[in-house]
Amino acid sequence: MNISRQNIYILSLSVVLLSFVLIFSFAVLIPNGKEYRLKRADLKKEYKKLKQLSDFSYETSTILQKLQSEHRHIITSFDTPFTANRFEKQHRSYFSSLKLSKLQKKENEDNFSVYEVNTTSEISSPKSFYNFLEAVNKSDWIVAVNFPINFKRDGEMINSSFTMKVYSNNKDKVKDSNTSGNL
Amino acid sequence: MRYSYIKPRKKTALSKDMQLLFTFFGVTLFMLFLTYSFLVFKDYRFDQTRAEILQEEIDLRKNIQEMKVKIALIENQNILSERVYTKNTVLKDSIHNLFDLVPGRITLSQAKIMENGLVLYGVTPNKDIYNFMLQAPLRSIFHRTYSSFYPLENGWFRFVSTNYIDEESSDEYK
Repeated sequence: MNISRQNIYILSLSVVLLSFVLIFSFAVLIPNGKEYRLKRADLKKEYKKLKQLSDFSYETSTILQKLQSEHRHIITSFDTPFTANRFEKQHRSYFSSLKLSKLQKKENEDNFSVYEVNTTSEISSPKSFYNFLEAVNKSDWIVAVNFPINFKRDGEMINSSFTMKVYSNNKDKVKDSNTSGNL
Repeated sequence: MRYSYIKPRKKTALSKDMQLLFTFFGVTLFMLFLTYSFLVFKDYRFDQTRAEILQEEIDLRKNIQEMKVKIALIENQNILSERVYTKNTVLKDSIHNLFDLVPGRITLSQAKIMENGLVLYGVTPNKDIYNFMLQAPLRSIFHRTYSSFYPLENGWFRFVSTNYIDEESSDEYK
């Protein structure tokens, strides 16, 4: 059999190129393709996980917004720094006179800052005090009227003294209220 | 002088067979490299997208955590405020009940309301009215009741009534 030199060259080149194609395909392309498929599946899972997380975030955000709108007054009350002057201004109508002492920091309760203020006041009848206790629940702060409460008759008037606990967020937001105006 | 009757064919470096071979392998290799480039590019994009997803996940988790903290704070604020509001309302009712408890013939001059006790100062026309009309209801509320009387010039009595609720059951009365 007589094969020309040129044919031998072509055949050799074909074998070399074919080998390259085969080696490249099996050694590089196929593993890369497998990796691509795996990564695509992984990514799909990641997307699914992200969507679940995103949905959960949306749900949490909705709950938070709902809570914020439902309890706006309470949230604002905890954020509002207590000022004796403003308190007196808001509640002077229930008393003939109202005097608040300086705020004193007390031990935190349930992770909230607690301040105590002593109050001396003069009322014309116990009804004024009942009205005050109703109004204090609607005030700009979270205020608990606390024991001891003392009522003492003084002619036609009743002198009353009691302590109040003011609750606020656990930050040093409450202004140092050294104002104790006598109305 | 011509030695052949046919025209000599032109000899080129690339014969037809070689051209065919190069075309075939050229197309094959081009497709192979194109596929490889596609895979490399996709791999790079996957890594990039994965990093973006991870970052987004971290941000979302952080955001969710912050929202959870806010929700917990609002819930705690709500619980505490409800407790405070209830306490104020109960206090109002307790003081209201206390003053309603005092009969018209007895006059109070002072009332000290403590966490687990009550001290009343006042005047009564006689001890019986005090005992039946004030001390009896006080006894039903408090665990320990002590009374002291001081006679006045007009025949009436000044009294001091000290009443205590025992520590272990004071919570339910508050």
